[in-house]
Amino acid sequence: MLADEIAALLPRMRRFARALTYHREDADDLVQIAMERALGRSEQWEPGTRLDSWLFRIIKNAWIDEVRSRTRRAELFAPAEEGEHVGDDTAQAHQQRIALQKAISLLSEEHRLVVGLVLVDGLPYKEAADVLEIPVGTLTSRLARARDALQQLLADQTDTTRRTP
Amino acid sequence: MTFSDDILMAYADGELDPAERAAIERAMQADPAIAAAVARHRTLRDDVAAAFADILAEPVPARLQPPRAQTQAPAQAPALEAPPANVASLAAAREAKDARAAHEARRRWSWPEWGALAAMLVVGVLVGKLTPGGAPPAIAGSGNQVVAQGELAAALDRQVGGSGGNGGNAAAVRIGVSFAARDGRYCRGFVMGSSAGLACRDGDRWRIPVLAEAEPESAGGYRQAGSALPAAVLDAIDARIAGKPLDAAGEAAAKARGWRPAP
Repeated sequence: MLADEIAALLPRMRRFARALTYHREDADDLVQIAMERALGRSEQWEPGTRLDSWLFRIIKNAWIDEVRSRTRRAELFAPAEEGEHVGDDTAQAHQQRIALQKAISLLSEEHRLVVGLVLVDGLPYKEAADVLEIPVGTLTSRLARARDALQQLLADQTDTTRRTP
Repeated sequence: MTFSDDILMAYADGELDPAERAAIERAMQADPAIAAAVARHRTLRDDVAAAFADILAEPVPARLQPPRAQTQAPAQAPALEAPPANVASLAAAREAKDARAAHEARRRWSWPEWGALAAMLVVGVLVGKLTPGGAPPAIAGSGNQVVAQGELAAALDRQVGGSGGNGGNAAAVRIGVSFAARDGRYCRGFVMGSSAGLACRDGDRWRIPVLAEAEPESAGGYRQAGSALPAAVLDAIDARIAGKPLDAAGEAAAKARGWRPAP
């Protein structure tokens, strides 16, 4: 049943949403909106095509809608805790995860989408281009620019850490 | 032979065909700079994946599960156990089926998209929940509109600055965001018992254009106060709000004017 197949993809949907929104609560709100849309128009999914790509496209569209009204809605969401919870791994690995999540949250929306699809979820270029409804060549050059921007942000973070005692 | 950085990136991402892969692997052996560029792409990819890997193992909040996935296991068991030839068991199976239909109907009400139904349709279902004990109903139909009355109307009139909620009373009204709508009228989001909605000032009354079932706060506690409003209510707010929500001083000023539109 389609609802069960969609439910099985929820962990990946949450992870993709987290790459877009950084905050856990906002990401889950986004997934919830996407789930409502997906279940409400499940007849639009074509059997034989990739269900994950279809769901990611719905998340992407929901997020873009969300971004448009973000200045207004930002104040309606309760302030969430910063990023990830501290797990029982070493503090250094935790720091690195936070630094990366933070850096990704500073990317442009376009860059966050390609990073979320290819680097976070691991989708092939063709599938990622399909989600974003762009040609593979455009996806490739956008991904290259997003990586450069991300490397730059990470380098800036390191510089800031060094300067701050 | 030189390669563009895009090609090296595609190689690191496993996107090239065998011939292209072999060409780049030869170049990596010949040129340490190419090998370093590939390593840089691979490291970033691995680091990003690792930064988000734990999220896959997190338990998925119940509110994100499709309604069917939530009910399926308990609902199907009794019907499957009933031998079809036995009359008594057929009756039992029918009962189980009815119970399942009722259960699914209840479940579906909690799915926020149903909050988008016209409030009039929802009133019959929710009015009981808004009415604790022998207190007068908190909402009433008036012509073709739904208006607040009783405890809800009083809270909408009086509560400002996030105050209110008389500790522990499940029916207590909590006022969420307050704002001026595009037509100048004041609107306030509220949660009362298991219901949530939006009330907009209309003359000396509070009209309720949207009413939906609130997220149950007992379900794990992952819902925070500000996001307890269901999606239908948030959408209704988004459709109406002009500018930013009121701060405490703005709410106090609006209350002082009797919630009449600012001049």
